[in-house]
Order: sequence, then structure tokens, then C-alpha cells
Amino acid sequence: METLAKISTTENILKLIEGSAVPSWMGIAQQRSALDAFSLVGIPNRKSEEYKYVNIELLLKGNFSLSGFDKITNQQLETAAFLKDAILIVVENGVYNKTHSSSSLPKGLEIVDISEASSNTIFQEHFAKYAAINSDPFIALNTALALGGVFVHVAKNAVIETPIHIIHLSSISENTILNYRNLIVLEENAQLTLIESYEKIDSSAKLFGNALTEIVVAASAIVDHYKIQDEGDSGNLISTTQVIQKKQSNFSTHVFTLSGLMVRNNLTIVLDDQHIETQLNGLYITNGNQVVDNHTLVDHRKPNCNSTELYKGIIEDKSSATFNGKIYVRKDAQKTNAFQSNKNILLSDDGTINTKPQLEIYADDVKCSHGTSTGKLDEDKIFYLRARGISEASAKKLLMHAFASEVVDTVKVEALKEYIEANISKRFE
Amino acid sequence: MANEILEEQISGEYKYGFVTDIEADSAPKGLNEDIIRFISKKKNEPEWMLEYRMKAFRYWLTLEEPHWAHVSYQKPDFQDIIYYSAPKPKVQLNSLDEVDPELLKTFEKLGISIEEQKRLSGVESRIAVDIVMDSVSVKTTFKETLSEKGIVFCSFGEAVQEHPELIKKYMGSVVPYTDNFYAALNSAVFTDGSFCYIPKGVRCPMELSTYFRINASGTGQFERTLIIADDDAYVSYLEGCTAPMRDENQLHAAVVEIVTHKNAEVKYSTVQNWYPGDKNGKGGIFNFVTKRGICLEDNSKISWTQVETGSAVTWKYPSVILKGDNSVGEFYSVAVTNNYQQADTGTKMMHLGKNTRSTIISKGISAGFSNNSYRGLVRIAKGASNARNFSQCDSLLMGDKCGAHTFPYIEIKDKSAIVEHEATTSKIGEDQLFYCKSRGIDNEKAIGLIVNGYCKEVLNKLPMEFAVEAQKLLAVSLEGSVG
Repeated sequence: METLAKISTTENILKLIEGSAVPSWMGIAQQRSALDAFSLVGIPNRKSEEYKYVNIELLLKGNFSLSGFDKITNQQLETAAFLKDAILIVVENGVYNKTHSSSSLPKGLEIVDISEASSNTIFQEHFAKYAAINSDPFIALNTALALGGVFVHVAKNAVIETPIHIIHLSSISENTILNYRNLIVLEENAQLTLIESYEKIDSSAKLFGNALTEIVVAASAIVDHYKIQDEGDSGNLISTTQVIQKKQSNFSTHVFTLSGLMVRNNLTIVLDDQHIETQLNGLYITNGNQVVDNHTLVDHRKPNCNSTELYKGIIEDKSSATFNGKIYVRKDAQKTNAFQSNKNILLSDDGTINTKPQLEIYADDVKCSHGTSTGKLDEDKIFYLRARGISEASAKKLLMHAFASEVVDTVKVEALKEYIEANISKRFE
Repeated sequence: MANEILEEQISGEYKYGFVTDIEADSAPKGLNEDIIRFISKKKNEPEWMLEYRMKAFRYWLTLEEPHWAHVSYQKPDFQDIIYYSAPKPKVQLNSLDEVDPELLKTFEKLGISIEEQKRLSGVESRIAVDIVMDSVSVKTTFKETLSEKGIVFCSFGEAVQEHPELIKKYMGSVVPYTDNFYAALNSAVFTDGSFCYIPKGVRCPMELSTYFRINASGTGQFERTLIIADDDAYVSYLEGCTAPMRDENQLHAAVVEIVTHKNAEVKYSTVQNWYPGDKNGKGGIFNFVTKRGICLEDNSKISWTQVETGSAVTWKYPSVILKGDNSVGEFYSVAVTNNYQQADTGTKMMHLGKNTRSTIISKGISAGFSNNSYRGLVRIAKGASNARNFSQCDSLLMGDKCGAHTFPYIEIKDKSAIVEHEATTSKIGEDQLFYCKSRGIDNEKAIGLIVNGYCKEVLNKLPMEFAVEAQKLLAVSLEGSVG
């Protein structure tokens, strides 16, 4: 039965692709081999180890379209642009909207519609070179079907002071599968703050987004990366981030999952040279029937690198949260320091937490550790606060705030931090 | 420096590698319904037992071999294994004098020497031993002393004959034949093993022990152990394993089931030292074992302690189902891999009852070209209120060609649960070594000291008689593996 269901969901999608107009900017040959790779594996079912805690087949049941889009109004766009001081990039229904994006760019920064970048040599050098189509079916699907996105290039030694804000905003009138991708390339010594936000105009139609971002961090470059996922109760999002870091570079990422029916983050960071610093932070606050699944892989390939990972979650109602963090230390990667921590608070009897911190280590001179804990709010702390005249409800709110703040405090963009804090406060009301 | 010493260690020979020359009474190679009938007939089994085997065999045929573990090996050819091999003189034995002297020599070489134990402790020995060689239980000591208390401790085959009601009630209740590929295979072809029943309110006065040994070549060993502790009972059970050196891989697929009733406690300790293969990874035992206990009723406790130093490939996850309220599960493990050994081992703690507690302490040590993985599951079911788990998995790496891995799964569905997991991976600290050496302790002794300290939490849980052997085994397996 299991295999039957698997074939039918995958076949449904293949049939849908056959009957739809598919963009061809990625090159037919590449798209074809990606589609082959996809049909080989298909939509993962719950027997697949990597997707065992999220039922994607169920989410893709029923009819879907590849083009059920609505036009987005200016007002809707303005609401989505929550950061005042930022270089704006609007990706509307998976396609770069140049008219609504910032036009004056600082020196050294280049933003191109990804579907028109194929003649760019830097683009050619890096595009689809890191997210391998045979490593995950959604990477394959994206490489076959992506409608558009942006190619961002930061020149050598360029320091972009103003953060870039890529708004992925979708509006749909029927159940839709939406594929889009970005490529971010930083040359040597360049610096960039990159914020990617995912939002959906409220409607009952189900969105199944399949977003992919490849980030290339050249030697000594510094990237501060943020993901704000807030697509509401009808948004399903597979969000893949594939990062490659070169010598002495510094990459830090912060993933905030604020809403969404299902959010699956596949974050892979390859430390491809020596003396690299990497930080991974994540916060998920779930309620209702939400399913949030964070998969991270830190691949230490060379010696003398450091990685630190902190993911925290608060789980309420019938929601479920999964954390699967892999640290991979290859044979040559001596003197690696890799630390990973996952902490969860479960607030309801119907919620679920699955956590799988995973270490695979092939070098001996390393310091690696992971820790995970799951529990309720500390009774003693609640008592302490209540004894000082604070009501139980506010005491709990206070403690949850304190719990979340460890991750929120890592946000370096002040305006963004305020935005996230306001959102979290609203959730705890 | 480190490499030299490692070389030295690697070239050390497996000291339990000898073959006992006893004419074996064995079945032809291969597996089919006739072989199962042959085994069943040999064991003079009742009809229901044969039916159970057949059901298991037919189910096994529908299964595929699992491949999710972090190990790679040449899949055994199940038609190329002898499923039944009994050392010939299998008349009922009453005293040690009647045992084949060759066999006794074997045990002396194993270092367990029942003779010696008998001599040392006289009639009041603290350990009763059941010895399973290849497929058949050879000798159970102190049966009479135990039966005075109402304790049943005998070979599984005997239990089928003498206590069919207990076997029928409990066999397969913890590990059903549908559980997994190797459990199904074992249920179809198991040949013997140990059976133990501790009646209500009895505290077993001595340690019960089973020694397993694979002897004849091309033989698989499929033993089954069933331990039942009735209300308020207590037993400490030991298990030891060795096998001779062989070029080909031999298969060992055992099933161990433990059931504890109200307020009962079972402590199960294993020192596994099957032949690990030579320094090039040739030969050795495939150790694919299903071990599981169930705390069936309130306030019961199951504790697993294991020291794993042998086998070419190990898959082993001694688990506890915490069904009764206030029940306790424990898992203490030291797993050592060297040369080309591969171990994928850990535990499962399934919290179902209220106020259940579990502790997991796992210490992995890998050297040479080996891979050592911890794989564990902690599941807190909905309604299992106030469950508590603490897990700690540490890995020690010796040399840059080995691997240490941790795959913990934690699934929580109850808000009152408190679950903690921590893991570290490191090598022996240069400063620790320097400290010892500057005080005149040589390199090898210093490593022994540090490793023993590293494993202390687990070794402390072993019964006295075993702790000494385990410490020696660790020293032999690892001395000089690092510089």
C-alpha cells in the first residue's frame, strides 16, 4: 500500500508537470536530468528516514496547479516590506519584480533576475553547483521547475552596509506548487547582511512552496543571513539553503519560523577550507496543527574550523516540531570545534517534539559535543515570580520570552530584532 | 609513537581463538522447512513449538534484510549456514566429571573455568553457569541449589519440555517473531539458550550466568534467552560470549526477552567478546541481536549493562518498555572497536507508564579503522506523565582513521516529560597523559588508567566477578592505542 501511495503522489506531480508550461531559463538538459532525479526518488513518504516526521504526501494530496497566481497589490507589498532601511528585492509569486525592488544600489552590489543571468560568467560558475539534484527530491524538483528569483553578486572587497531584504511574497487563488530559487555570491573580503522573508497573502488556497537559496562565501567574506518564515495557516514551505564557505570566511544564519502549516528547513553548510567560522541559530514557536521540521548539516571538510549551533523551540496545541542536526567531521578535519544544542519546551499534552542531534566523526583531534533537553517551564521559577506578585500567566510569558531571547539576541539588525520580538509577543498573548 | 604502539596492539592475537575438537552432530547446510522440522525433532519439541517456528519462518521469507545501520558488510548467505550443531556427547550430565574433558579444557582456556570456581567457592558458589556451545546447552550448574528456592534455571530446550506453560505464556511476548528480520529468523531456527524463572518474592541468592560459544565452522548460533521475574523477585544475570578464529564470517542472531512483574528487578550484564576478525578485517562474528525487556507491572526495574569488545559487526539495542507505573529502565554500555570492527549499538527506552524513569550511559571507544555508533531512541508516549530520561553518550577516538557517531532519536508526546541528552567526542587529553607520565606512569598504563576512568560509570555497574574480567578485556583491547 505504502509504495502505491508513493507512486501516485509522485505520478500526480509528474502528470501535472507534463500538462503545464515549464520555464526553460535553466536549460532544458539540466532540467530534464533534474526531473529524472526527482522521479527516481519521488515525494518522500514517512518511511524515508530524512522525512520521517513530516507527512509530505498528505500535504500534496488533492489537486495542485503550477500557476494559480493572483496579482499582488502595492499595499500588500508595502506591508510585507517591514524593514524601513533596507535594499528591497521583491520576488512576487516566484518571479523577480524589478519595478517594486530598490533601484539605486551601492557600489559593488549587483542584482539580476536569475532567469536572465545565464550569460553572466560568475553565474555560470556557481549556479546549481552546490545543491545536488540527487541529494534531495525537492532540490531536484526545484532545479526542474523554478520560475525565477534573483542572482545577487557582491564584488571583491565591497562592504554592503545596508541589509538586503528579499521578500518572497505569494498570492494564490487555487492550490499551487511554487518553485523559486536565489543565488548569492560573495567575492573575497566582501560583506553582506541578507534577510529572506517568506509571506503569503491570506487565502484558503494551499501553497506548497519549494524555495532554494545557494550562497557562496568566498575567502574572508562575511555573511549575516536571516530567514523569517511567516506564511500563515495555508502555507507549506520547503526551504533549502545550501552554503559553501571558503578560507577564513564567516557565515552566520538565523532561522525564525513564526507561522506556516508545514515548514521544512534543509540547511546545509559546507566548510570547504581552513579557519572558517559558522554559526547556526534557529527559533520555532508552533501552535495549532503546525509541523516544523529543521534539518541542518554542518560538513567540516578541512582542519581548524569552528561551528556553533543553537536551536530552540516552544511547542503548543497539537503542533509538532522536529530538529535533526548533523555534524559531519571528515577525516582531514583535525582541530575542529563543533558544538550543537537544541532546547525545547512542550506546553501541551497533544504536542510532539522529535529531536535527533547527530554526530558523525572521522577525525580524532576534535572537540565535538551536542546536547538536547526537553521539558516544561520550571515550576520553581514560576513560583519565584508568583511569590513576587506576578500572575501565573504573566510569569509564564516572561519565562517563555527569556527562553526565546537567547536566539533573538543573536539578531544584529536592530529593526529586524524589534520586528521579531513584536511578533513573538503577539504569539504569547 | 602512537602508530607504533597501535601496530603492536593490532598484531596482538585473539587469545580465545582455538577450536575444540569434539565431533559435532549437525544438520546439513541450508535453510528450509525440513531443516526446521529437523531441529524441532532433534529437540524433541511438542507440536505447538514447531508451529511457532513455521509461522516465524514463513514470515521471515517475506522480509528483506535491514540496511539502515551505519555498518557495511557482505550480506550473509542464509543457505550457507549450518543451523544446528551439537557437540556429540549430549547425554544428560550430572556432575562436571562426566563432561567431555575436551570441553572442560575449552572452558579453562576461556578463563571461566567452572572447575576453578567450584574449587574456590565450594558448594556455596555465587555463580550458577549455563553453558551453550554452538547450538546446545551443555551444562547447567547448581540447578539443585536453585530449585530449592523454586528458581527455574535451565536450558531453553529443557524448559520447553518441563515448563511449557511458562514458555507458551511469555515466549514472543516481548520480541514477537514479527519484530524484525533477525528476530524472525531466530524464532524459526533457534536451537537453545537459557531459561530463567524467579518465583514470587524470591531474591536469587547467586548470580546466574550463561556462556555462549560458537565452535563448529560454518555454524550460526541462534540462541534464545527468556528471563521472567515474578512479583517482588530479583535476579542478576550474566552473559559471556567467545568464538574461535575463522576466516569466514559467522552469524550470531540471538533473542533475549525479559519480563518483570510488580516490584521485580532484573539486572542483565553482558561481556561480549566474539572473535572480531583479524587485523585486515577478515572473518569475525556478525552479532545481530535483539534484546528487549518489559517492565510489565508497577515499580519494576530492568537494567542492562554491556561491555562490547568483540564481533566484526555488531547490531544490538537492548531496550526497555516501561509499561508499569514508576518503572525504571537503565542502560550502561562500553563499546570498543578496533581494526575493522563495526559496532552500531544503543538502546530504546519506551516510556508508557506514569512516573517512569530511564538512564542511558554509553561510552564508545574507537581505534584502528573501526566505526563505532551509538543509536538510541527515547520515546515518551502521550499520557506517560512525569517521565524522566537522562542520556549521556561519550565517544573516544584513537587514531585518525576511525569514526565515532551518535544517532539519538528523541520523541516526546507528553508535556510533563523531562528529557536530557548530551554527547561529546574527543581524544585522550594530552594533558592527562602528560600528568600521568610525569609521575612515572608509562604510556600504556596511563592510557589504561584514563580509559578505565572514562568507562568507570559503566564498569561500576557490573557484578564484581565480571568487572575484573571486563577491565582486563579493556586493557587488552586498547593498551597502547594512543600516544
